[in-house]
Amino acid sequence: MKKSWILIVSFLVVGLVFSPSAWCKSKTIKIGINAPMTGDIPKVGEGTKFAAQMWLEDINKAGGLKVGDKTYKVELVLEDNESKAESAVKAATKMIVEDEVLAIVGPQASKQAVPAGAVCNSYKTPMISPWSTNPDTTKDRPFVFRGCFLDPFQGPVLANFITQEFHFSKAAVLYDVASDYPKGLAEFFQEAWEKLHGAGSVVAYESFTTKDTDFSSQLTKIIRSGAEVLFTPQYYNEVALIVQQAHELGWNKPIVGSDSWGSAETVKLCGEDCYGLFFSTHYAAAGATGDTKAFIDRYNKTYGYVPDDVGALTWDSIRIVQTAIQNCGEITGKIEKDRQCVRDALAKIKEFDGITGKMTFTEEGDPLKCAVIVRISDKGEFEFYKSVCP
Amino acid sequence: MQINNSLSPENKRLADRLRDSFAQVPLLAWLCGVLGAVLLERFFGDPLTEILGLPKIPALFGAGIVLKKPQLIPGTVAFLFLIYVVPVIVIPRLFGSILNRLAGWFFRLSPAVSVAIHLTLLYMILSLWADISGYRLLTLKLTLIAVIVTLSLNVINGYMGEFSCSHPGFLALGAYTASVFTLFFFVDDKVFGAAFLPKFLGPFMFPLALILGGVVAAIGAIAIAIPSFRTRGDYLAIISLAFMFIVKSIIENLEFVRGPRGLSSQPNYVDLPTVFIWTVAAVWIINNFVRSTTGKALNAVRDDEMAADAMTVNTRRTKILAFLFAAFWAGVAGGLFAHVLRYVNPGTFGIQKLAEVLAMVYFGGLNSVYGSIVGAVSLSLLGEVLRPLEIFKWIIIPLLLILVMIYRPTGLIAFKDFDVMKLIRPKEKT
Repeated sequence: MKKSWILIVSFLVVGLVFSPSAWCKSKTIKIGINAPMTGDIPKVGEGTKFAAQMWLEDINKAGGLKVGDKTYKVELVLEDNESKAESAVKAATKMIVEDEVLAIVGPQASKQAVPAGAVCNSYKTPMISPWSTNPDTTKDRPFVFRGCFLDPFQGPVLANFITQEFHFSKAAVLYDVASDYPKGLAEFFQEAWEKLHGAGSVVAYESFTTKDTDFSSQLTKIIRSGAEVLFTPQYYNEVALIVQQAHELGWNKPIVGSDSWGSAETVKLCGEDCYGLFFSTHYAAAGATGDTKAFIDRYNKTYGYVPDDVGALTWDSIRIVQTAIQNCGEITGKIEKDRQCVRDALAKIKEFDGITGKMTFTEEGDPLKCAVIVRISDKGEFEFYKSVCP
Repeated sequence: MQINNSLSPENKRLADRLRDSFAQVPLLAWLCGVLGAVLLERFFGDPLTEILGLPKIPALFGAGIVLKKPQLIPGTVAFLFLIYVVPVIVIPRLFGSILNRLAGWFFRLSPAVSVAIHLTLLYMILSLWADISGYRLLTLKLTLIAVIVTLSLNVINGYMGEFSCSHPGFLALGAYTASVFTLFFFVDDKVFGAAFLPKFLGPFMFPLALILGGVVAAIGAIAIAIPSFRTRGDYLAIISLAFMFIVKSIIENLEFVRGPRGLSSQPNYVDLPTVFIWTVAAVWIINNFVRSTTGKALNAVRDDEMAADAMTVNTRRTKILAFLFAAFWAGVAGGLFAHVLRYVNPGTFGIQKLAEVLAMVYFGGLNSVYGSIVGAVSLSLLGEVLRPLEIFKWIIIPLLLILVMIYRPTGLIAFKDFDVMKLIRPKEKT
């Protein structure tokens, strides 16, 4: 009994002695990163983390973040949202309440960004989702912003591009009915296409379910329908299967995709079948110039692969937050006031010069920015082909 | 060897002494102890964190701080010791006998009064604890909902002994029904248009939304209950798994609930009292159900269906009843879940949710209300606390499960009766 008391007392003494007594609360600016480090899309989480770390390196090299005439240390608070809605909500709440972050970057996927956005809005904390394309994420939420263009913009961009480039009038669509993003984009594309070419010009509108791997029945229908082009807004793992199976079944017309194609894995899995195909995205890695090239080269050198759009959009989003904090002019240390100030500064940002294009926020918190049409070159690189602006 | 020999009797004596000195402590005293701890935290938590150099009051027993900044470990341990351990030991020790007499007095007055007093104390503890931060509140709400889900699954998997995988489907049915109900009647949104009824009615009608969710889930459960007359074991597991996928794909293809995009902006009706009342109701009703004649019939069906049939147990009725009952509570939990997150999408109710719920049931213990509570609380908190470890979390928790399965194959606290009367009764001197 005596021994245990001595142990406890010594623990307390050690606790008192070694605790850093001067805890500086107001001297650091904390920025939250809400990323899917585990779960369905860990690669997205990794890209987010790496881009954020590169940004932190820059800030630390400069000795801190200069706001007004004071320099503050910056701390990143990374939380794993496990690619689950409930964990994203918990992570956002934890960062806001416990860590007292000034602003949050992420979550990336809409299924987490929509509920996390509600939390951030109710706690009056600015949040910017780099990658979420669901209109609900920012709708009626003054504190929530996003770093990418929306599907209602991307659908018409692709429809116009195909019409102008190939002069086709009959299109087919193949999409995943169980997944939020492909389904939404497929609908917007169909709407835009039928506006251009009249009702019924989407001759085949076929769907499948997440984790399906055999698309032959849908593709056969599409081939029989007499479509001239196939649009498939899928993720990289499905793109490879769809393109390869289409070619095996004798499809030799163009296949067009959306920004979800823009992963380094697409070409790795798809191989030569994907060469020469077009898709719309946020930026083109091959043939990039200026800041974009500098970012890509640095990322490639540090982490060993060319960053996909998540990395680039996260980089832009976190720099937008930085700009907003600096535009704010003063950090008072009262977190509610500072958050409001950052939010107001974010809403006022005009012509922000990001590596994925120039951005200006609308009232909803969505950016007006250009889309890029990319061609997969014969070397398997994503080549800039054309830029389409709203 | 020598050290071991010399230590073990002393250790044993210490353990015995501890057990003896706390054997006479009634539940009332323990609750008072914990209440003391949360009050202490409320009034002296902030000054103490400053003295110890902690950035804030540790939200979930300091796990977050410890994982991020190891240099704060001594401070955190000191904080936990002073705030939690000291009052929880000192108060029952000092006031144990007085509170024991008090508990006896309450009990003789009326067991119902005694139960009410215990529950009030429990609610005070939870609300004071959760009041410290919004993060605690959210975690607590989700944990309480997990208790309902786990308990309802235990009725089928533990008490009836069928391996049902359909619970995420029931949750989804409840969550969507309750969400559609509240969104349709009380919210101006773009899916269902303007609110149908005045908004101030919303919180009063919310129980109806939950019950409706439960009823729809129960109707869905008939689809599982009927095949369960003919199949058992693996086959029923497969059928119920199919049910889960069917529910998920139906919702994904239903345009009026916005398919895979999910429903958002549910009204904020679920505060702590609501979750607490529903959880207490679920525990109380499910506990009474499993201790009733029907509950014993469930056990009979599990142990030997043919013998039970021969002994006049109506096995069909029993099975249907158990499935409907369990699905009802899962539906209620789903409705609460949707209104805590204020967002539902079909992707949430997939195989991962199933794994979570099954893990809670089997970790805590089959055929036991205690077990379900312990399993749900420990895995929810553990999952949240270990989240910063990222990928290692998914190694540590399964490892724990494996260890439990090796050393306690039926779960931590299995086959134990949850007797409320015994729990609140004062301890008698032996």
